[in-house]
Order: sequence, then structure tokens, then C-alpha cells
Amino acid sequence: MISPRPLSVVVAFTILLAFWPGNAAGESSTSGEKLNFVHDVIPILTKAHCNAGACHAKADVGQRGFRLSLLGFEPQDDYEHIVKEAKGRRVFPNAPEQSLLLLKATNQVPHGGGVKLKPGSKSYETLVKWIGQGMPYAEEDDPELIGIEIEPERMTMPKETEQQLKVIANYSNGTRREVTELALFEANNEALATVGETGMVETRDLPGKVAVMVRYSGQVSVFNVSIPLGAPVTDLPDPANFVDELVFANLEEIGIPPSPVCDDATFLRRVTLDLAGRLPSPEEATAFLADTSPDKRDRVVDTLLDSPDYADYFANKWAALLKNRRESKADITANFAFHSWVRDSLLQNKPYDQFVREILAATGTIVENPPVAWYKRVKQPTAQLEDVAQLFLGVRMQCAQCHHHPFERWSQRDYYSLAAFFSQVGRKPTAIAGEDLIFHKRGTAQFVNKKTAQPVKPAGLGGPALEIAPDDDPRLQLADWMAEEDNPFFAKVLVNRYWKHFFKVGLVEPEDDLRDTNPATNPELLSALAQHFIDSGFDLKEAIRVMVRSKTYQLSAEPNEHNAVDRQNFSRFYPKRLQAEVLLDSIDLFTGATTSFADLPMGTRAVALPDNSYNSSAFLKVFGRPDAASVCECERVQSSSLAQSLHLMNSSEVKGKLATANGRAATLSKLEGEVSEGIHELYLVAFSRPPTGEELSIAEDFLSKERTDANGKPLAVATAKRQAYEDLIWALMNTKEFLYNH
Amino acid sequence: MSSILTPNSPSHCAGPLDRRGFMQIGLTGMGTLGLSGLMRLRAENATKPDGEKTAVILVWLPGGLSHVDSYDPKPDSGSEYSGPFKEISTKIPGTRITELMPMQAKIADKFTILRSMHQGAGGHPAGSMQMFSGDPDTRDKPKPKLPDWMSVVNYLRSQQEKGENPLPHYVGVNPAPGNYSGPAYLGNAYSPFAITSDPNRPDFAVPNIGITDPAETKRLSDRLALRQSLDKMERAFDTENELAALDEFEQQAMALMTNPATRDAFDLSKEDPKLRDRYGRNRWGQQLLMARRLVESGVDVVTSTLSGPLCGRVNNWDDHAVNQHQFEALRFRMPNYDRAVSALIEDVYSRGLDKRVLVVVTGEFGRTPKIKYDRSTGAGNASGPTGTLQPGRDHWPRAFSNIWAGGGIQTGAVIGATDKRGEDVIERPCGPHDYLATIYHHLGIDYNKVTIDDFNGRPTPIVNDGKAIPELIA
Repeated sequence: MISPRPLSVVVAFTILLAFWPGNAAGESSTSGEKLNFVHDVIPILTKAHCNAGACHAKADVGQRGFRLSLLGFEPQDDYEHIVKEAKGRRVFPNAPEQSLLLLKATNQVPHGGGVKLKPGSKSYETLVKWIGQGMPYAEEDDPELIGIEIEPERMTMPKETEQQLKVIANYSNGTRREVTELALFEANNEALATVGETGMVETRDLPGKVAVMVRYSGQVSVFNVSIPLGAPVTDLPDPANFVDELVFANLEEIGIPPSPVCDDATFLRRVTLDLAGRLPSPEEATAFLADTSPDKRDRVVDTLLDSPDYADYFANKWAALLKNRRESKADITANFAFHSWVRDSLLQNKPYDQFVREILAATGTIVENPPVAWYKRVKQPTAQLEDVAQLFLGVRMQCAQCHHHPFERWSQRDYYSLAAFFSQVGRKPTAIAGEDLIFHKRGTAQFVNKKTAQPVKPAGLGGPALEIAPDDDPRLQLADWMAEEDNPFFAKVLVNRYWKHFFKVGLVEPEDDLRDTNPATNPELLSALAQHFIDSGFDLKEAIRVMVRSKTYQLSAEPNEHNAVDRQNFSRFYPKRLQAEVLLDSIDLFTGATTSFADLPMGTRAVALPDNSYNSSAFLKVFGRPDAASVCECERVQSSSLAQSLHLMNSSEVKGKLATANGRAATLSKLEGEVSEGIHELYLVAFSRPPTGEELSIAEDFLSKERTDANGKPLAVATAKRQAYEDLIWALMNTKEFLYNH
Repeated sequence: MSSILTPNSPSHCAGPLDRRGFMQIGLTGMGTLGLSGLMRLRAENATKPDGEKTAVILVWLPGGLSHVDSYDPKPDSGSEYSGPFKEISTKIPGTRITELMPMQAKIADKFTILRSMHQGAGGHPAGSMQMFSGDPDTRDKPKPKLPDWMSVVNYLRSQQEKGENPLPHYVGVNPAPGNYSGPAYLGNAYSPFAITSDPNRPDFAVPNIGITDPAETKRLSDRLALRQSLDKMERAFDTENELAALDEFEQQAMALMTNPATRDAFDLSKEDPKLRDRYGRNRWGQQLLMARRLVESGVDVVTSTLSGPLCGRVNNWDDHAVNQHQFEALRFRMPNYDRAVSALIEDVYSRGLDKRVLVVVTGEFGRTPKIKYDRSTGAGNASGPTGTLQPGRDHWPRAFSNIWAGGGIQTGAVIGATDKRGEDVIERPCGPHDYLATIYHHLGIDYNKVTIDDFNGRPTPIVNDGKAIPELIA
């Protein structure tokens, strides 16, 4: 392992002289040899971003008539475009420096991208030399690039230190060459560490784990950094299960002491919101606070998991990801049926592998088999494989439809092999417009690879090509492959998705982007959760139980003197904004109002809505309920906005809820007896706890103030009291304590 | 169809290189930027370097204005093509438009006509998406897949200046059609602040805004004070600045609701009644007056859709013969249009907003130069009783016109040309990406460099293959 050290320009220059330009490190000077287009030229174009997606590799068009393949993945096409297109103006072997390629890159001829190469730089000289040699593509005995290594591979770096990375390319003939200068570097969490163009990693002043992705000529590798805080970790709670053991082990290693376990009221509100998507009722809160048995937290978890509210809340999540979208009025039956199927599956705790299998391999009509509805929204095999890969495997394959995935090992072959599983999905129109009967179409499962124009057989990611008999439905084989115990994706992406649901931050972020170059912040924990899920027989409730029963989940959100800076080690609970549906339901509960939704019985909660058509509600729209357009949870917008504030402050909808007849303000204002009782009720509903003495006195003062009309005349007592309660309810429901799950 | 009209064909619009564009990226070390650097660029390049806060008003004509009956007259195309409207001369010698727009003819020095716009999508959804987001897919779809330029600007400007102006960055005064435009993967937070009621009505008020009752204002500030005194969540929680942002928006909302200056931005009664008359005392006129008022107060993007009963029977510009009588519809519609648009342009100049504010007037496409007769499907304004044979024009994306004013550009010009019937562009074809690039350019957004991550995290360029139209940039 190499210790952090400053790397001077002199050192860098020496390395360059030793290794560049030329072919293989360890050989004697190779300056007389012919350069290789793939090894020597393309990396320069990539490093200078000539072939970035926003520049000459813009899909299908390039830039100003000069087109390159994205990141040089198609060197033969690039060679054609550079050497043979534009009447050969791009390269002049007789006067290499007059080549348009160089005149543009150096901006001597005005270039929309500005200066990309400096005349006289190493890269410039390499291009001059290559053109001078007559633009060789490759010699017959030139070796292949087989991989890259990073030195060091992983290390612990203190805060605010630097480390220069060294990138070594390995070739098929056993030679090695340093390619640091032409490699691309990217850190996955810039709040923690940055990396410069030259491969210098600089940590910032926050503790945590960072991965630096290094790319060179289609190869990727990762440098893992751990940045410790180094504070003493002494008062760890007793671990409840393996989750705590692994989280606490990481906290000890990195030196971040956790916050203490939260109080009962906070726990009850937190877990009820997270499992059932609602606030605890005042009765539940009172009973829970009064309960003295030591296992009451575990028991409330079980009660909530068995309740229909759990199924409603998680069906809401899955229905959006499964694109249960209303596009026309006629969709309503399909929308309701599919939503009910998802909800019932969750309620009965159908094993997750079976749940996925029933969707993937759905046949028949929506009415007789509701998961067929997925095939109504996701029609093309390419869309089917992309959704399945992202949602169930945490692999984003979209890139690989048209080019090699830039951060991944997936190629177009992998992409179309996955598409082949869906090649035998048969469709027959039904009497209902837009709805097909789905069946297995007898025949050989295969799909034409767009790049090679050759058909490929179905294959799981990283798996062998499968020969599937014409009578067998290939989708069942895909489901089998997913549920294999050693499938590296299926269980991990689910536990990571659920972890994020409860802990706000995934062990991998984004939660559906699992790749070697984007490692988990706690890989041991991710593996253990996945294994536990597999061992449980893909039991979703058990996956949840092990998370929310952990002490980690039950830590206070309030930071201690050390861990306020922690954003990814779970040393405290990270507060989460209530999502649109939950907030609307909570406001209804708190104000005593009801929101009515078309075609649904009065009292239906917003979390139980079957599809996106209800986003016509200004409230749901403005608070970011997704339209079920994407398999990505990121479609849900959880950030605040001006429109949200305006809506809470002054919309007729919210005003109406506060003033609703027989609502909470009206009822409390008519209550005989002490106002403290009313205040107590409000705190119990909103926060599952009684008010503190200070809160009580602020609220009492507010309620007892005289109220006047526009002309300064005192208002009638009943009106004044009612208004005062409306105002108090408004104030409480606009506190962060209400708007967040904490 | 000629090759220049395929959606992905290279543009011929590009003129001299934009110096500012290539100065921006160059000269940083090896002249390269890492991915992370590119991400920073997104935020940094959202205004012009000289710091002027530019704005755009888009006047949207849903359904598509018949170019041959308006800005690109073809009096000699024969009776199967030519409508009844005469050509008239304008303030600019040689520039002729139809008699439907006499007020614009008088100020033809203050706008430029682009006659060579074309795009590849013939349906309303896809055609509109071409013009709003530049979606390369020309098939109709129920919702846009790419964010429209207005949401992009809203997003970029929001990143850049948080809470400096209490007014929203993007307001829709009768916003662009929601199924054809929208923020897509940017998220609803970047949707327009929408004004959907008619500003010409005496009881017009923007919902959730402009509390005039002092008792109500007092009540609201009492509530806020109470909320603050009861808010126990410590700032120490606030590692992501989320809670702070919430407070910021609350203050901004409060200002919007109660601050007279910001409230005034929405109050047309503050305008000179004569000016209100000049715009036209109807919905369209007052919408455009509102648009000008808003950009003057610091709003970055205002879209205003001219739709509704002022269009005729079908409430838009979709003048198929089955919908309405093409020529009667234009006779009915154009006086209000001409008045409102000419007033807006004049007003932008007379208030000295003409450098800062770019005004663009367009629809998603033109209308078929060949007149098509068909039977009316219903009587109404500008439409005969059911069964009446009447003239109409269908969708025509192959060639259409739009107009540009302000923005510091050279006005009084005509760019591009179509053939003798107005069917195809024969000179300087400009596609949707050139159009979008021109708008972004005015807003100081480096459209060649800015990308936005879609739902899959794929960096997606905001303009694919376009170049700001040289004559339409300052």
C-alpha cells in the first residue's frame, strides 16, 4: 500500500517520459515503432472529451459533421471518420500539424468546443506522430488491452489529504504500461472527496466511504477510500441483530459514535409512518406510551406488518414502479385490478421471487390475471428488459442498447441476450382497446443484436446463453435465473431499495444502480441483508422486520457532538420528508377533514390510491406524487418548492380542511373544560407525544389572546376560539416535526 | 419529402461562430473538463457573463398558425392554395404580410420573421414536443419524455439564485398545454407557476397570492410566528440544508402573498387603462400585458397560450375544415391577435426591455398550403352548421413561420424562404433544435454543454444538434 504523498510535477513528468509515448512499459525506447490507433490515439480523444456524449459522440449526429463513437467504444468507425471522411481533410500525413483534427482541437481553426489540446503537449505530439506515420490502425502483432489496475486499490485517508493514483494497463502479451495521464477519474460522492483530471484524490472534511471510478479505453476499476472521523466510539447500544453488528463495526472502524436510541413516542411515529404510511392514532399512541413490556417495539412492528395499511402503503410504492398508469378513461379496470393484485400479494406476504415471477411470466388477460397489466404499459422487449434490469436487478442497461455501457462491463450482446427472454411474448388484441391477451408464442427465443445484426440467445447477465425449447416460455427461465441463490443482483437490489425506504440513504446510491464501480458504503451489510432475505425464502416482511427491529433504525435523529456530519454511516436517523400521499392523509387526520377521490369510497386514504390519475389533485401534484412513468423511485420529487409553501399557507384546499365542519378545530373549540386538553390532543395526533411545558404555555397563550376583526372590533367568542384552533393546527402542521419523519 | 426535412438532418442554420461559446470551455489546463466539472458547468453557465438577467416571453399558438395566411403570404399560388387575404406592405420596404395583421405591419421594424422553420412531427403532441423539448422522436406520445426548455431554464436559474427574487422563475399565464410540455424528469417542482384564470375579468385574482385583506395578512403572520415558536426540530438536524430551504420557500411564499411589490406584479389594475386598451380588453390582450409585467418584475420565463373562445369554435388554431372555416376563423381571431402581439412588442421596446427580454411567437407547425374543403362537424363561431362544406387547412410541419422581437437582436428582417406555395423551405432551413438553441443562447445557457440527468442517470443534452440562429442572437 502506498501512503498519501504529494506528487510533484517533476515526478509526474518523469513517469511520462518513462512510459509515454510508446507501446509497452518495460520495453526499451519504442519511439521508432508504429503507434496503435486503439491504444494510443483513442485514449487521447477520450481524455480530451472529444467523444463525450455532449460533443462529437452526440447520438446519431455527432457535432458539426464530425462524429465519433461514445468514449471510443467503436474504434473502427472512429478510424473511418477521422481518416477517410471529409475528403481526408482531417489528417494530412505530409504536414501533420495542418491536419484539421489538430487545428480544431487546438482551436487554431475556431472550434465550438474550444481548446482541447495544447500544441506541444504530449498528447498533441502523439497525434502528430501518428499522422506522420500515415495513420496506422494496428500492427498484426499488437497486443490487446486486457485490464487496468489502480495503485493503490484501497486505503484509509485522513480528512483533507491527497493521494495520487497510478493507473496501469495490462496487455495480452504480458506487458504493462502506465496510463494515468489518459485515464478518466470520477468520485461517487463529491461531498466526501474529489478527484482531479490527473488522478489526484483529495478528501474533504467529512468522514465516510468514497469510491473513485477509473476508466481507460473501455476498462473500469475502482479505488476505495475510507475517511475516518476518528472519534472515540464507546456507548454502543446492545446489538439487536446482525444489522447492528455490521453497522456498529463500521462506526467503530471509522470512528463515529452513534446517537442514542430514540424515545418511545418518536419510535412509534417513525415506524408507523414507515410501515403503514400514516400517523399513529391517539389511541395507539396512548396505549404504546403506557405499555411497559420490554418487547413492545417488536410487537408493534408485527402488528403494523400484519395490517392492511402496510399493504396499502407498499402497494403504492410498487404500483408506481410497475407503471400502473392511467392514460385513458378506459384503463380504469386494469388499473384497479393490477393495484389490487399488488396489494393482495403484499398483504398475504407472497414471496418476492414468486411476486416477480407472476409479473414476468404473466399470461392471459388483465381481468383474469391482473399482472398482465404490466405488459400493457411496457410493450417492447427492449423496454421490458430495461425495466426488469433496473427494477429487479439494479442494473441500468439502457446505455447498452446502442453502445457499450460506459461504467460497466455490459455490452450490446448482454443487452440483446436479455431482450431475447421477451422475444416470444405473444399478443392478441382483446375486445378492450389497448389491451392484449399475452401468451407464449411457440418458437426459438432469440433477439437480433443491433450492432452485429446477428441473433443472440437468451442469457442472464453474466450467465451462459440458454437453449430454450420452443415450447418453453423463456420468461420462466429468466425468473428462475433471478431467484437462484447465487444471483448477484436480485436480492441485493430489493434489500437496498427497502433499506433506503427506512433509512433515507441506500447502502448503494442511487438505489437501483448496483455496479462494481459503485460499491456499497457497507458491503458486508448489503451482503448479509441479501443472504438473510434469500434464506428467509424471499420473505418481504422478514426483510423489513430485520431492519426496523435493529437499534440502528431506532437511533435518535438528534446528532451528538461528533456525528452531525455523518450522511452515510447510519450513526443517527436521517429525517425524511413525508411524501405527498402520506402528508395529505396526515393533514386530513389532523384537521379532521376528508379528501374525496373519484370512483373510490369516501375515506379512502391517499396512500391507497390505485394509480396516477389522482394526481389531478393539486396537493398530490405539487408535493411530487409520481406519474408512474419510470421504474426509478427518483421520479418521486421529495424536494421542497415555492408552490408547496404557497399551497400549505394559502390554498383554498388547506384552508377548507382547517375550517371543515365538525373538523378538529370546530370540535375542540366547542370543548368544555381546560384548553390544555385540546392542546394535548393536538400533540398526541401530530407527534404521538404530550406537549412539553413550554409548548403548552405557548399554545395556551395563543388560544387565550383576544381576536379582532378588520375594524378592530373583538370577534364573537365562538368564532375567535375556532379561529385560534385553526391557527394552532396550521402552525403545528407546518412545523418540521410534522412535515418530517424523524 | 426532401432530405433537409428529416428530423435528424444536420442544420444549415449555423452562421458565424459564437465567440463566447468557445471561450468558455477552453484554456482550462488541457482544455478538458471532467464529468464532475461538466456537472458544475450546468449551474455556472446559466446567465450571460455580463450578468444581465435575461428573460423570454413565449406566445404560444396551439394548433398552429397558417403561415401562408399570415407571415409568409403566397398571393400567386393559385386559387387551390391562396386564401382570400391580400398582401400588405409593412414599415420595412419589401417585407409583406397579410392584411390580417395591419398593426404588426406598422411596427415591422421591431420584429424579425423566420419563414424557414420546419420540424418532423405532424401530430399536435409530437409537434408541440418538438418545439418545447426538441424530442427527437416524432411520434405522438401521451406525456413528454424530455423536459421542455422552460422547465430547464427554471431548473438552471433555481440552482443559481435561490430566493433572491420572491417571484417564481417560470410563470404560465395560461400555461403551455400540460400534456405536450412539462418538466419530465426534472420533476414537478419545475413546472410553471400557473395562472389559469382570465386576467381580463374584473374579479381576476391569482390563487394563493395577493392577500389584500389586512386581517388575513395579520392572521397569516401570526400563524407563522406561532409556527416558528413551536418548531422544535433543531437546526442541528439540518445537514442537507433541507430544512433551511423549507424556511426559505415559506418566506418567499409569504412575500408573494403579502409583499405589495411582488403582489403588484400580478395586478393589472396598476397599468395605465390606455395601455390596457392598447393590448385589447380581452383575455389574450391582458394575458400578454401580464406577461410583460411579470418579466419586468424579474420573472425569467413567461409562456402565454392564446387559446379559448377567442380562437373560434374549437378553442385553438387547429383550423381543419371539420373544425371551423379556416378563413372565417382567421377573420374572427386575428384582430385580437394582431392587437395583443403588436402591443406587447411595442411595449417591450418603449419600456427599454428590448435588450433583456426576447419575445417569441409561434405554434407547433403551419397549416397545409393547399386548401382542403370538408364538412363542418358543428356550428359555432367561424364554423357553419353541421354538414356545411367549408375550407380548412391541415397540419403542416414541413414549413412554417414564427416571429422574434426584443432580445437585442436585429429586427425588421426576414430570415429564410419557402417555395412559391409555402410548402417547403428553400432557404436557410431551421429546425426545432436551432430554435431551442436560439432561446437558450439569449438566456446565457451554453446549450452545447449543459446536460441534465434523466431518470436513469444518463446525461441528456438540452439541445441535440442545433445552433443558435445567427440573425436572431445579439
